[in-house]
Formats: sequence, structure tokens, C-alpha cells
Amino acid sequence: MIPTYSRRAVLNGLAATMAASLAPARHAFAQLDDRAFFFLADTQARLLASMCDTLIPKDDFPSASEAGVVDFIDLQLAGPYGQGEGLYLEGPFPEGSESQGYQLPFTPAELMRRGLNAFGEAEPGFADGEESRREDMLTRLSEDDVDLGDVPARAFFDELWQLTNQGYFADPIYGGNSDYAGWRMVGFPGAHAYYPSFVANHNVPYPQPPMGINHDPGGDGGLPRVTKRQEG
Amino acid sequence: MPDKTLPKTDVVIIGGGWTGLTAAYELAHAGQRCVILERGDHRHDATSFAGPEEHDELKYALRYTHMMDVKQNTLTFRNSRDQRALPMRRLGSFLPGEGLGGAGIHWNGQIWRPLPSDLEMRSHYVDRYGSDVLPDDLSVQDWGVTYDELEPHLDFFEKICGAAGYAGNLNGESRDGGNVFEGPRRNDYPNPAMKQPISNTLFGKAADEMGLHPFPMPSANVTKAYENPYGAQLHPCTYCGFCERFGCGYFAKADPIICVYDRIKEHENFEIRFKSTVLRVEKSEDGKTATGVTYIDDQGREVFQPADTICMNAYALWNVHLMLVSGLGTPYDPETRTGTVGRNYSYQTIAAVDAFFDDEIITNPFMGAGAMGVVVDDFNGDNFDHTDLGFVGGGYIACKQYHGRPISYQPVPEGTPSWGREWKRAVRDNYLHHADMVIHGSSMSTPENYLDLDPTWKDAFGRPLMRMTFNFPENDRKMSEYVMNRTVEIARNMDNVTSVSSVNLAAPGKDYTIVPYQTTHNVGGAVIGTDPATSVVNRYGQMWEHHNVFVFGACLFPQNLGYNPTGPLMGLAYWTLDHLKNDYLGNPRPLMDA
Repeated sequence: MIPTYSRRAVLNGLAATMAASLAPARHAFAQLDDRAFFFLADTQARLLASMCDTLIPKDDFPSASEAGVVDFIDLQLAGPYGQGEGLYLEGPFPEGSESQGYQLPFTPAELMRRGLNAFGEAEPGFADGEESRREDMLTRLSEDDVDLGDVPARAFFDELWQLTNQGYFADPIYGGNSDYAGWRMVGFPGAHAYYPSFVANHNVPYPQPPMGINHDPGGDGGLPRVTKRQEG
Repeated sequence: MPDKTLPKTDVVIIGGGWTGLTAAYELAHAGQRCVILERGDHRHDATSFAGPEEHDELKYALRYTHMMDVKQNTLTFRNSRDQRALPMRRLGSFLPGEGLGGAGIHWNGQIWRPLPSDLEMRSHYVDRYGSDVLPDDLSVQDWGVTYDELEPHLDFFEKICGAAGYAGNLNGESRDGGNVFEGPRRNDYPNPAMKQPISNTLFGKAADEMGLHPFPMPSANVTKAYENPYGAQLHPCTYCGFCERFGCGYFAKADPIICVYDRIKEHENFEIRFKSTVLRVEKSEDGKTATGVTYIDDQGREVFQPADTICMNAYALWNVHLMLVSGLGTPYDPETRTGTVGRNYSYQTIAAVDAFFDDEIITNPFMGAGAMGVVVDDFNGDNFDHTDLGFVGGGYIACKQYHGRPISYQPVPEGTPSWGREWKRAVRDNYLHHADMVIHGSSMSTPENYLDLDPTWKDAFGRPLMRMTFNFPENDRKMSEYVMNRTVEIARNMDNVTSVSSVNLAAPGKDYTIVPYQTTHNVGGAVIGTDPATSVVNRYGQMWEHHNVFVFGACLFPQNLGYNPTGPLMGLAYWTLDHLKNDYLGNPRPLMDA
């Protein structure tokens, strides 16, 4: 393993595939003190981790931040997506109806930075709250029931939730889904997809552990978990 | 003035997708010197779409790396004329392509034919039900070309794609196991139908037990090694689950690059110029013809390319935009209901039903293909009696397993929270135990749904953005609700199903929204017909007002049928090219009297 994994190297053109894939599976949050993020300030990252972990909490499978979602979001916001690729940002910016979609003058990076700062001020105790209290706060955020100044709460929530979900399930080359946390949870075998002789085998679990684009094997090679519903 | 004027060519073709490359193939072989102008880059299945790199859900399905760039050109949107239209700032509801092959590289490969009655929609309904059946707020009309006329061309396109399926009507003989509602076909599909997973199989079983007529979805995901009539080699589908929104590196999904481009690229009459955005079509002084096109080339220069014949082969929406910014034809005015360019824009009416299985059923949703489905067509078109239903049209019901990509495929039963602990558990519990049904419905045209130019926003070339005004007509809301309820009945009859939920994107009272993906089936705006007062092109695809301009693609549809558009629009393309080659070129003139 390469212990000197650096986010900056990824952005500076060292193949993202290589760098991210060689990073050891780790708790992103625990790395905050000794490693700078590309985009996020440490206070933003801490708040973001607690928000992400409310959206995807730890159970038998890792929480969002344990699966690298904060790293994923940091890289996304620093990269082309965060900087507004694929987003038409010509003014004016009048308010529209919901059916007209996103109409803010902010790139995703600007939206997240403003949103995190404003939410941190509006809800200073968020990160230390009980899960049920954090859930209540995020529910209010999703319902536009928090005043974040020039950032509509719902737009901030939607961006946060999309990025969190993407980070948990995207290929690990993007820094999230560490050790295939999301893929192992559902039973998705990954990018090396070739099933012509298997597709018509009805009700048979697929016997391969996940493998991503970088060809890094995941899991122990055993059969994937066949889900059993929770009692009650 | 352009920076540069080039020597004249016989034919200039705007856009290098399915119809543009096909036009070039057919016209080059007819001795015409063809130049394609493609706004995007060169790309190829072999070098651009290979797995595992291509199997990147975030990059291609969610960051739209194969799609058009809204920073270059987008549109504005509103639900009705009393609203201010605002820019579509990011892609969502539909995903037009860019680059060699256009949107044809990222389709699912669902390859359909229209029903005979779809093409004679107004006269068919009036004949069967009387003149009151069509409400006044629908501007439904006949295509002006019949199924029998298109059949040889639909058949040929199925051969180009190596389509996989099972005929339900072979020369008038009805065959169980195929679509018994389809029009008569002279040939069966060139390849056998796809394999089916358990989800689709259980859907077909339930539908069959209910007396419906399930059949395998016709597929351009090829099932055997195959050579098409142009000499292209296709390989069997691997059921990889990365189809729609992705290119196919297995040479298994028919696309315009491997099926057409590779077979014409070396021809002496063929040339394609990449990174060449057509700004406008230029008209002659008397306005009766076009003289060529002005485009921005890959060096950023403004270039005039004169041509004898102009083929408009951009995506449906951008063909209409080009007409509007070029002053081709007469723009539609919803106040007076005159003019035709932009008139009868319509879309596709989508609803979905989810069925959740107990643990005995393991679906392996990641084993998928874009057109791996079992379909019921009993409620499509006029395949069922519309007496007293209060609507026209219909849709097919398909149980499809086309991907299990884990960001986009997170089915959870109704009542599950949308995030948090319970949500996480539900995603985990249901991923391998779910069937996905879609109601893919027709979309009727109305006088209030149309395309024109926006007064405020501009594209990267300084042209006004196109403005889309669209909402679902009441007719389509009723239709979608009706067919969705039939689907729920099927889902409840499926074995091992524990719960069923449904969502109608065109539910009564719900506005069409440009945000969630629905389909890349934007149609109309430059429709085909036999009356210049209600169509932009005559029944041969030739502009009424400029006889050397031929128009291709789904912009020709006077309203949308219940099927995916690629099959029908390619049937029309071959029909147009047949008349262009064999009638027009020898004696250029209007092919119909206005």
C-alpha cells in the first residue's frame, strides 16, 4: 500500500484511477487532522461527515464517511463537476417553478460551500446531536424549513444527498465506496460485466465478489450475501 | 461574411448520427459527393467504449460524458404560455447526444415499428369511433405515409441492426409468442429474441395467464454473430447492464458507428468534418431553395459550405432550432395557430410500476441489456376498444431488466423514507428482488405545445435559445393512468410478489417537469404531412418552402406513438432517401404540389 496517498496528486494529473484505488480503506473522518482536503475546510468537512452519516448511517455496512464519501465529495467539488461542467450559468437568474429545474447562479462547489457555512451557523450543535435530532434537522432542511440566507435549503439538501449517494455507490476510483462498501451491501459485482451464460440462470446468486474499473478485487471471494429481510 | 467559402458539394448533411450517416451511405453510393458536418468529436466503439472503463456509472450515466454540452446550446422551458421560460441549465428529462453516432450510441436498442393505425391516426380514429372521438384541444393528424409504404424500409433497418425478436404477424399470419398486434411484416427478425431473466419471465407468465399477449421486446442488442447488409460485423450481447447512456464496446448493440460509418468512411464520395457546428442554413435570394450552410469549423472560423442539396439530420430539437434561426419555413404562432415550424412538438408519456419479490426470487438486476424485456402491447395504440374511455392512444407495458447500476437502481417499496437508516436497509433488502415495469405511452400534439425562439437567453454562438412550451394534455394523463392501472393488475398477479407500487409522471394535476429523466424521445416541431398549412415537409420529407432541403428524424412525427422512435424514424429516413435518390436528384423540384 502507498501510505502517502495525496488528494493533490490526483488532481494534478496522476491517474485518479491509480491514486484512489491504492488508498487503504479507512475512515475518512479520522484522516482530517493530518491531511488537507482539496476543496473543503476542516470545519466544513467535519460538518459534512456528520450530515452524510445521518443520510447513510453505519449498520452492518459502513457509514457514508467510513466509506470515503467525504473524500469523494471533496474531489467532486474540486473537479470539473463542482466547477460547473455541464451546467449552463448564463444570467439572468429569475426564480422559476419546480418543473423548470435548477435556476441558481451557483456551481455545485459554490452551492455546497455556502450551504455548509450557512447550515453550520444555523445549526451549530448539529455534529454533536443524537441521530434522531440530526434526522429531524435534515428533514427540515429537505423541506426548505431552514433559513440559509441566499441558499435555498432544499437545493442544498438535494445536492448534498445526491453527492452522498453517489459517493457510496460510485466506482471506488472516485474515492468513495471504499472496499466496495456500497456494492457489497447490495450485491453488485461491478465493472467487469459479462453474463451471457448466466443471465437465464434463474434465482441463482452470482458467485463473484465486486471488482471495479481498476481491477482491484473486493471481498473474500465467497458467495455474496443473499439478503434476508429483518424480522418484524 | 464568412471567413472562408468552400467549393460546392453535392450534398451537405447536418449531423453524424443514425440518419446523417445513413443519408451519406445511400447518397454517396448514388454518386453524390457528401459532406457531413458533426458538431462533436470522432469516437469509436473499439477505442472509446470498451469496458471496464466504459462501465463507469458516475462518468457516463450521471455526468453525461457522451451527451451534448448545455454550455454550448440548450433550450428554455415552461409549462404554458403564461409562464416565463427559463433555461434548462443541466440535462435531465432527455439526453441528446453529441459526437460521431449522436444519440444513437447511447440508446437502449429498443427497435420498434409503428402500428399501421399510428400512421393514420386522425382518419383511423374518426373512421372507427366517429368525429367526436378526438377532443378539440388535440392537433393530431395523419403522417401522410402509410405502414405499407414504410414496411420495406422498416424491414431494412432491422437488418442493418441485426434486430433480435420474434415476428407476431408474418405476412398476415398471426403467431403466438410474437406481437400479434403488429402490422404484417414480410420477414421475421434477422436474429432470435434475447434471453430473459426471472423478473421478465414472471411478468410474461402473469400476463399470459390473464389472457394478454406477452412477447420478447424487439432488440438491437444482437443475439448472434451477424453481418448486416452493409457488411458490418456484430457480436452477441453480453448482458453487461451498461447500455442506455453508454456506448457498447462489445460491438453488440447496433449503433451508427459500427453499422454505417465504418462501411462508408473510406468511400471517395464521403467526407465528415468534426467539431463543426452549423450556425444556419442559407437561403437563395428568392427563398425557394437553400444555397448551403454556414458553420464554425474546428479552428473557430466561420465557413460557408455551398451545396445543391441540404439534409437536416440533427437531433429532433436542433433541426427545429436550425430552421428557426435560419428563417426556413414559417414559424408557428400559437395565437393565430398559423405557421408550421415548431408546431406539434410532443414527447412521451411515462409511468412506472415496481413489483417487489420475496427472497426466493433473485433477479441479479446487473445482468441486463437495453432491450431485454417482455412486452404487452394489448393497451398500445388502438389495439383495444377506446369506446367511452375518454382518451385516444395508449402505450406498451414492458417488464425490463436493463441495468442494476447501483446509484440509479435503488428500488424500495412505497412508504420507505428517502434516506437514513430505514432507507439503507430497504435498498439492501430489495436490490436483488425487484421487477421494473414501464408504461411507455403515446403523446398527442396540441396547439399549445410548441417550439419557438427565446427572447432572452443565447447559446455559445450568440443565437437565441429555442423555447419549449409543453405540458401533458388531459388526454394523455387519462391514457397513462388507465394503462398504468392495467400494469398494476399484472404486477399483482405475478408469482412471489409481496408489494407493488406505481408512479405516473403524467398524473392528473402534475406538471411535466424537465428535471427527472423520462425519455430522449422529443418529437415533432417539423412534422411530415400532405398539407403545407399543417406540416413543414411533404410526405417525402422535403420542405414545402425550400425544395432542396430534406429533413430527417423524430422532428417529423406529427404526434408521438407509444413506441420508441428510432425504428419509425429510420423507416422514414430510408423512405425519404429512396425518393431523393430515385426521383428528386434526376430532376430537382417539389415532389408534391403545395
